[in-house]
Amino acid sequence: MNRFLELLKTGPISGFRLRTKLLLLAMTTLALPWAGCQYAREMETVLRESEQQSLLAVTTTIAGSLKGRNELLFRADSLPGTEGSNPRDITPVVLSGVPLIDGRADEWDTSARNLVRVAGPGSDSLRLLAATHERWLYLALLVRDDRWIFDASELAALNPETLGDRAWLAFDDKRGGQQRLFFGNIGPGPVHARRIETLEYGREAAVEEPRIQAEWQRARDGWVLEIGVPLSMVGQHLGVLVDDRDRRGAARASYGTLEISDLRAVGRLIAASPDLNDHLRQFAQPGVELTVASSTGAVLTRLDAPALPGDYTRMRGFLPRMYRLFLDGGAIPRSVSQAEREHAAETLTGRAARGAPVTALFGGRYENSVIVAAAAPIYSADGKRVIGVIQLAQTADRWLTLRDRALTRLLNLTLFVTLFAVGAAFWFAGRMTLRITRLGAASETALGREGSVSRVLPEADAPDELGDLSRSFSSLLGRLDEYTGYLRTLAGKLAHEIRTPLTIIRSSLENLESEASAGMGENAKVYIARAREGSERLGAILTAMGAATRVEEAIAHSERHRFDLGALVRASTDAYRGAFPSRRFVCEIPEEPLQINGAPELIVQMLDKLVDNAVDFSADGNTITIVVRSGDTHVELSVANPGPRLPPETATRLFESLWQSRSEPDKRPHFGLGLYIVRLIAEFHGGSAQAANLPDDSGAVFTIRMLR
Amino acid sequence: MKKTIAIVEDERAIRDNYAAAFSREGYAVRGYPNRREAMTAFAARLPDLAVIDISLEDEPEGGFELCRELRGLSAELPIIFLTARDSELDAVSGLRLGADDFLTKDLSLAHLIARVNALFRRVDALRRPAEDKQVIHRGALSLDSERMSVTWNGQVVLLSLTEFWIVYALTKHAGHVKNRQQLMDAANVVLDDNTITSHIKRIRRKFQVVDESFDAVHTVYGMGYRWVE
Repeated sequence: MNRFLELLKTGPISGFRLRTKLLLLAMTTLALPWAGCQYAREMETVLRESEQQSLLAVTTTIAGSLKGRNELLFRADSLPGTEGSNPRDITPVVLSGVPLIDGRADEWDTSARNLVRVAGPGSDSLRLLAATHERWLYLALLVRDDRWIFDASELAALNPETLGDRAWLAFDDKRGGQQRLFFGNIGPGPVHARRIETLEYGREAAVEEPRIQAEWQRARDGWVLEIGVPLSMVGQHLGVLVDDRDRRGAARASYGTLEISDLRAVGRLIAASPDLNDHLRQFAQPGVELTVASSTGAVLTRLDAPALPGDYTRMRGFLPRMYRLFLDGGAIPRSVSQAEREHAAETLTGRAARGAPVTALFGGRYENSVIVAAAAPIYSADGKRVIGVIQLAQTADRWLTLRDRALTRLLNLTLFVTLFAVGAAFWFAGRMTLRITRLGAASETALGREGSVSRVLPEADAPDELGDLSRSFSSLLGRLDEYTGYLRTLAGKLAHEIRTPLTIIRSSLENLESEASAGMGENAKVYIARAREGSERLGAILTAMGAATRVEEAIAHSERHRFDLGALVRASTDAYRGAFPSRRFVCEIPEEPLQINGAPELIVQMLDKLVDNAVDFSADGNTITIVVRSGDTHVELSVANPGPRLPPETATRLFESLWQSRSEPDKRPHFGLGLYIVRLIAEFHGGSAQAANLPDDSGAVFTIRMLR
Repeated sequence: MKKTIAIVEDERAIRDNYAAAFSREGYAVRGYPNRREAMTAFAARLPDLAVIDISLEDEPEGGFELCRELRGLSAELPIIFLTARDSELDAVSGLRLGADDFLTKDLSLAHLIARVNALFRRVDALRRPAEDKQVIHRGALSLDSERMSVTWNGQVVLLSLTEFWIVYALTKHAGHVKNRQQLMDAANVVLDDNTITSHIKRIRRKFQVVDESFDAVHTVYGMGYRWVE
């Protein structure tokens, strides 16, 4: 709980850098494409549902128009024996083109579900396929027969001695009579259907039926008979029969869908009236396929979809594909096999046959295509019985394409906007960070070590909050500058103020000595001497306090000229040998003249301070080493002395004003100005001052780098 | 007749102390606390020597102004600046105004009196004809120790008393190095190293006014200075 409150106070991304925060913030625009997807999905759902609803409405309308129209559906008032199906029923498939009657099975789909298979003697068998197109019924008899026997003669069609293999076609006609037709030939080729008619005197003759076309051809394992019959001839029942003979004139072995005894057709022909198509054509819409099926699911007719107007091909390319993948997920079925699709259509028909209009989606023939289908029951005239089902199927390409286009545009746009927003945020964050960093760096360095203040900060002109910050920093620094300025001049001012009373004391003492010494006792003289000593010390203190100011002024008035640093250090070292006889001095200076551009008086002063310092921190008899090294652009001057280590924290502070690390009390006044003066002089010469311990910790070394 | 010394100093105790010291030496002393009173008195009667504090009551640089006005009244009158301020700028301005010397108040009374005596001696010497035996000749340089005046190539170089004493110390044993302490002793001043350095600098500059190629004062680093002919 506390952690949550903490998080609430600081924000969940408080731990990150500003740049990262703004970037994360910009990333939230990624919600735009997501929202776009959601919108597109909604839109798609609405589109799909409205599509399904309108398709369902159309379907219901068509179903209504077919209500009770048995003669259209079944070419009769009713389909006899509708309840239950007979294995000898023939349900022709609806063809979209005219088949060629050539006695070859290659046009026929031998795995079609309406195949009727009848076993004959031995390994013989009959496979019967049926189809309709327009006003014709087409039949194919695929017979496995180890030996195909032809009739001996064209003429003696009824002479049992001459008979070979025969095929029978029987159906009831519109008037209720039975038509029995046979096919017999003396060889492969076109064959006429003939009917046995009883002429006068009881003579039977074979009469050709010219309306029926047929061709009889040999196949790999038997023969094929293709027959075309005008649907107008055929009534409700139809069947075929094969008379198989092992040799010409032998006893026949009959098998097929006819009653063998009287050649009566018992299997029904479940085919719609040719007028049904005309009726349906008025409902035809681009891209919509109409299918009428019986209540058992047998397809009566199918009206193919006229071509879709316009370009509804789906968009290609990487991005649309990605979008689809992202969007569709598993909601819409992908492409499925033919069998699956048919099964889905049948299921839909079956559901509609139970009495209620239904709608469904299933995968199309091609990749990513979707089919939307609706089915509605067709009722009998009294509205009590379902006599058939009408199903409308439409590829969903149209709305999917519409959706894809809208979506692709939307997503492209939002992607672009997002990229732009992220880029802009990144740029902004970078700039802001840079500005803040610059301001931070400037404010860090604004206050120099020795208290000098630079008031000029970046961003001071900016009109925004950073500008305000910079300006308030500036005014803060200004006040600080005034304060440090006051502090810096305090010592000088104090020295000046104290000097006047000191002068009064001194001159008074001197007057006292001059005028009253004769009458003074010994004690009084001692006191006067002490007072003088005290005032001398006070004077020394004042001088030390003003030293830094004087050096700063001296630096300001210094003039540079070229001189030999080596000679200067050598001469100075000689002087130090005289001044500090208790120390040894070692000089390491290059032989050749070392010309540098600078103020020699200041360098001597700097060297004085360094040597003073080295002498103070070393013991009698120690050796102080002064080294001069020359580089390309710089010279290095170092003074090393044995003695105590430098305290670690002082390495950088050593050269600051008023800092000192002397611990033991000293008679001379120290204000920590010596090394500060060293630094001022080094900086005047374009260099720097550093202090370090000797590598073996035996003492300290002060190194000055100066420009040549 | 007693010589008159005017002390213009706003700090009464200092003024009185100095007055006491000068009186002891036999001078007549008159003290003034500010520029206005001093000028009124000077207009009536000039002193023989003036010791002036730079900062006077409400005028931080009133001494300079007074010096200028006093020089307007008399070109020869010796003027000594005395101040608690020891910065360079004060010194430079004071001398440019024609002061004969510039001293800080740390100077002991004895030193101050020596200086005053020297200045009076110079005034006296200037009134007498020059005597050659007092004059040191060092090449282009002639140095009259009595009149405390210096010429270079026959042209007068205007040095303050302190500067004269430094040059005198350097030239007395030309070629010998004089360290800072020796120069300070010679000049009767207690100054820090920087002040000696700036005195030397100013001496060079003053000689360079009359001769641009002047290069007789050499720095011996770490030791001091030397006069080279």
